[in-house]
Amino acid sequence: MRALRVAWLAATLGAGATAACVDRATSPGTCPSFCPSGAIDVVDAVLGTSIARDSAFRGYVFPDHAVAMTAADVRGVVDSRAILRTSALVSGLVLNTGDTTTSPLVGADSMKLTLTITRRDTATHNLTLKLYRLPVTIDSTTTFADVESAFADTLRAVNVDALLAKPGGVDSATGDQAAIDTTSKFLKVTLKLDSRLVDTLYVPGDSGKLGIGVRVGADAPTSVAFCTRENGCGATVAWFVKVDSIKGTDTTLIHKQLAAVTLFDNYVFYPPTPPLDSTLAVGGAPSARSILRVALPRAIRDSSQIIRATLILVPAVPVQGAPSDSFVVEAHTVLADFGAKSPLFFDATRTDTTFVRVGATDTVRIEVTNLLQFWTSDSTRPEVMMLRSQGEGGHPSEIRFYPSAAAAYRPALRITYARRFPFGEP
Amino acid sequence: MIRARGGLLVATCMVSPALTGGAMLTAGAMPLAAQDSQFGIRGLGTPGRFETVRARSTGGAFAPFDPMSPLVEASLADLPQLTATAMGGTSYRAAEAAGATTSLRASRFPVMGLAGPVFGHLVLGGGFTTYLDRTWDVTLRDSMLLRGTMQPYSDELTSDGGVADLRLAAALRVGSRFALGAAVHVLSGSTRETAGRTFDDTAYHAIKQSDEVRYDGVGVSGSALLDLLPALRLTVFARSDNRLRARLGDVVTTQTDLPNTVGGGLRWAPSPSVRLAGALTRRTWATAGAGAFNTLSWSAGLEVGSGFSPLRLGARGGQLPFGAGAAAPTELGLAAGTGRAFARGRALVDVGLEHLERKGGGLSERVWTFLLGLTVRP
Repeated sequence: MRALRVAWLAATLGAGATAACVDRATSPGTCPSFCPSGAIDVVDAVLGTSIARDSAFRGYVFPDHAVAMTAADVRGVVDSRAILRTSALVSGLVLNTGDTTTSPLVGADSMKLTLTITRRDTATHNLTLKLYRLPVTIDSTTTFADVESAFADTLRAVNVDALLAKPGGVDSATGDQAAIDTTSKFLKVTLKLDSRLVDTLYVPGDSGKLGIGVRVGADAPTSVAFCTRENGCGATVAWFVKVDSIKGTDTTLIHKQLAAVTLFDNYVFYPPTPPLDSTLAVGGAPSARSILRVALPRAIRDSSQIIRATLILVPAVPVQGAPSDSFVVEAHTVLADFGAKSPLFFDATRTDTTFVRVGATDTVRIEVTNLLQFWTSDSTRPEVMMLRSQGEGGHPSEIRFYPSAAAAYRPALRITYARRFPFGEP
Repeated sequence: MIRARGGLLVATCMVSPALTGGAMLTAGAMPLAAQDSQFGIRGLGTPGRFETVRARSTGGAFAPFDPMSPLVEASLADLPQLTATAMGGTSYRAAEAAGATTSLRASRFPVMGLAGPVFGHLVLGGGFTTYLDRTWDVTLRDSMLLRGTMQPYSDELTSDGGVADLRLAAALRVGSRFALGAAVHVLSGSTRETAGRTFDDTAYHAIKQSDEVRYDGVGVSGSALLDLLPALRLTVFARSDNRLRARLGDVVTTQTDLPNTVGGGLRWAPSPSVRLAGALTRRTWATAGAGAFNTLSWSAGLEVGSGFSPLRLGARGGQLPFGAGAAAPTELGLAAGTGRAFARGRALVDVGLEHLERKGGGLSERVWTFLLGLTVRP
């Protein structure tokens, strides 16, 4: 009898426990009769006058500090050329272990110059790189006009598309080669300069320093971006030098390989970037940024949830350049509003971008939802947006938008937001 | 797993039998929740039942005479010793609207009580009961015009919690055939409410808002119990609740009038092993505002068998206070149950099974509820 009662109790509690493990409360609403009276209220509004006190500043990243240098050939629009200077070679080499003297360099057999192309226009064909010898005195103050005359005699030229089409990307006749890095997708082009050319390039008085200019050409207007030393993949030079062994009467020349790196790289272009005016400039070289101050209505900032925000900008002039010079404009928020010197908030989740196409005059729309949500989540953040181009200073292309002073075309914000849900109402 | 949400105790999945059993024994330490219904989404919620498993297994007919059912205080006067009770219920609900049927399940622990004689003929009791259950989770699919394009979206509106009735009751046997009772009720609770919307177009970020709504109110009740004949007992009861205030933080968002309740019951025991009872209750829920209706509920039940294993049967009917349309939704139910005493009657385990059918405003619900109750007399 006692066992029976224990079994009854266990069965009852077990059934209860099993039944308790079953919560499922979600059901399709039968509205409006059997739904909560409150509803999510979504509002879409264009804030036409919320952006004010906007201005543009130039000089953030100079071309010689950019992560890319653009060489472009777009007749009548832009002519851009890469220039670089390599490091000096050592004056002598220790040929034997234990020697206390070095053997002097007496000349060079050949050299290889490797350039890394990070962006090119694959729609154009017969991309050609042409090398020119430039004075080793080139520096950040060098202008297009300063070196234009040096771009008269071509040292070497290579058809990159033809080179890529060869087996393994190697031209066995010239020693040139081209290959695409499978990881970075960068195109590495190596040009070999034989002894005939090297004799003119290797100047003992310059300790082997080289000034080199690069032009590009193709069947159609084209533009390429070379990687720079600032990006860790600047041009490199491999010298094959001759060293005097200096062993008594032995004057045998020893052949050695020496590496040189880029000490300076830059690009010069024509026409130069026009000076800033009342428009909001973004991009160019040196790079320009535009600052936009936003005044969000308190009702939106304090008690609404922004679900989409679009910054609307009207270009004042079309972007100039080759089609492949189209670039990305980034909208950042700032840590503090110090005008032109406002430090940017670098966070991928707080950065919104859009693509700006060369030649287009369409209204540019940047989805800035992340920025506005950031502002509404922390009321101490300044409601300031800074526009800059991606890869700042690495291309001469620039876009200019109408400022808030141009009433008909001023920047605007289109915001879609949800009002506070009426919790607590039956 | 048992977790407290919004001041209510709710059972969720992954329950271990041992834990659940233990939780049911101790659940009375917290405010409790009851079964819910689609009919309560639009209004204040789904009213709880002031009934233990024993009373509910008889369709609620024995609630006015059951000392541990928190409906009629005067019946406490018959309590011979300190007694504690708690109950749990699991409901399987099928809601049918516009030709579509949705299956829903929920577990609740709606009643806990403790009562005992203090001195003389005075008996005091207290406990928690679900007053309004406001737990639901509604999903919607719709679209809206945004920036010139119809944007499909999915909404999910949820509420988790409810309002508990904290009762302190006293009963006094005035004579051998007459007893009086009274109680004060503190209504308290909260709901965790969320509103979310997800657009198909991910250019629109998801909306997610939530808040905690707190509720409060008070009520008083009184009752009398009269033995008309040795086998015939009459009870009448009345209750008045003032208003339910909903607060967000310190701000009162709504204030809703609560109903007055009057009712009575009659119990006839033709033999020591057979008891019949019927009850009638009216509540003025229409004061709660638009979409609310006054309700009249009836119940009739039978308990057969004396000692430790009675058999219980019952039926109930009436109206629900909230619903769409011009008339109140209706409810009809059948219930059955039994119980078993252990430890020489010091522990009682009651089980019951209830079937309800609710209709109104184009919606119908069929609910099966398994009830389990535990009563301890230390």
